[in-house]
Amino acid sequence: MSQGNRITVDARGIACPGPITELIKAYRNAKNGDVIEVWATDPGFEPDVKAWISRTGNQLVELRKEQDKIIAVIKVTAKK
Amino acid sequence: MGSVKKRVIIVGGGTGGLVLANRLPKDEFEVTVVDKQPYNYFLPWLLYIAFKGSRRPIKREITTLIKPWVNFIQSGARSINLNDRYVELENGKRLGYDYLVVATGATVDYSKIPGLSKVIDLYGNYHSDEENAWKVWRTINNIKEGTLAFILSYERYRCPPSPLEGVLLADEYLREVGVRDKVKVVYATSYPRPYPAEPMNEVVEPILKERGIEVIPFFILDHIDADKGVAYSVEGEELKFNAAIVIPPHIGVNIKYNPDNVLDPDGFVLADKDTNRIKGFDDAFVIGDASALPVAKTGVTAHLQATVVAKILTGGYARNTGRTHCPFDMGYGLGTFVISDSTHGTVKYPPNRVNHLFKMAFASSYWSMLKYPELWDPLMEAYFNATAPEKLKNIYG
Repeated sequence: MSQGNRITVDARGIACPGPITELIKAYRNAKNGDVIEVWATDPGFEPDVKAWISRTGNQLVELRKEQDKIIAVIKVTAKK
Repeated sequence: MGSVKKRVIIVGGGTGGLVLANRLPKDEFEVTVVDKQPYNYFLPWLLYIAFKGSRRPIKREITTLIKPWVNFIQSGARSINLNDRYVELENGKRLGYDYLVVATGATVDYSKIPGLSKVIDLYGNYHSDEENAWKVWRTINNIKEGTLAFILSYERYRCPPSPLEGVLLADEYLREVGVRDKVKVVYATSYPRPYPAEPMNEVVEPILKERGIEVIPFFILDHIDADKGVAYSVEGEELKFNAAIVIPPHIGVNIKYNPDNVLDPDGFVLADKDTNRIKGFDDAFVIGDASALPVAKTGVTAHLQATVVAKILTGGYARNTGRTHCPFDMGYGLGTFVISDSTHGTVKYPPNRVNHLFKMAFASSYWSMLKYPELWDPLMEAYFNATAPEKLKNIYG
């Protein structure tokens, strides 16, 4: 597996669909092997990111809830 | 020194620029609006050129819309120097300012998607100018069979409801002319669902299903081939079409900034979300579509931000509320509004005829609203208060 860039997307405080929009923006510029870490406070982000992973085939490395935010770590694998 | 007026330069004579220009007290400020061309456009009407063939004029001369004491310079701005406080015009002349407000809007950039220029050439779009909107009208009149695809190509675009407005109006028109049973209507979006905000999606998704419109979510457009009639996603998925109407990528306009770190990669100006101050500057603001804030790019946003900046400039206290109030035409004389603000989610507001009539009435009153805030502001304030999301949520959820 190639070692790619790690990108952090801070989408805290942005209301739905803001966080998924910010994820898509980062994903658009990313390459296979890059890792995108998204921070969000909107609860709608959790189902959205799961649906996005399922649909696009990218890899959800980790999805966890901390006291003040939701963190999703995604490895980009599905781009052609 | 006390009675010298403060010089305000407003770059851009669109909705935000003129709302602000006409609200600054003339005894305190010397206001100059700079725009590279003479007209203010009511861009929402591009939708009705494209899908109804409307011949209503959509522009008026800026000089007819500003108060007598507001100055207008018709010129492009080559660069803006935020440190030394001046705007440099195309002819090299420098205008110094005490306060600057950037209201330059957005523009479209087809080069972001390989193959897009040719698709726009063939089928048009309703997010740039009249010429391209008329091409869309021709597209929906020419298509007799196959697939008509609407594709949202980028996350930054003007007017959140506009993609689905086009889809629903096209569906209505194709039915009207009797070809809908032979033409498939498809909407491809990078979002997880047809309308980005979930409560409004609950309203519109059943309507799309009822009208037989196919939705492809999570489709991020990578490139498009006009000759083959295929759109490709970043994961290689193919969407075949006979005609494609793409909502194009939007970027900030081409003005050089000093310092240049106030721009995001798409040329939108970084700003404070509460006050619209340009990042790092007390005396410079950006309002409307030109800002990089993750808020909807709409006329209402520009208008409300302009009123906040007007208050701040006159020494008052005001903060953005993030209020949206987007008219959403759903075809067949029905419409609703997408209403939310930064502390309240979107209202699940179903369509009705009255809301559509409100959209039409607003369109007819637009230029009066720009020029006569003294007449319209109290009305609009009362209307916005009455339709605040927390109030409507009690009724509609």
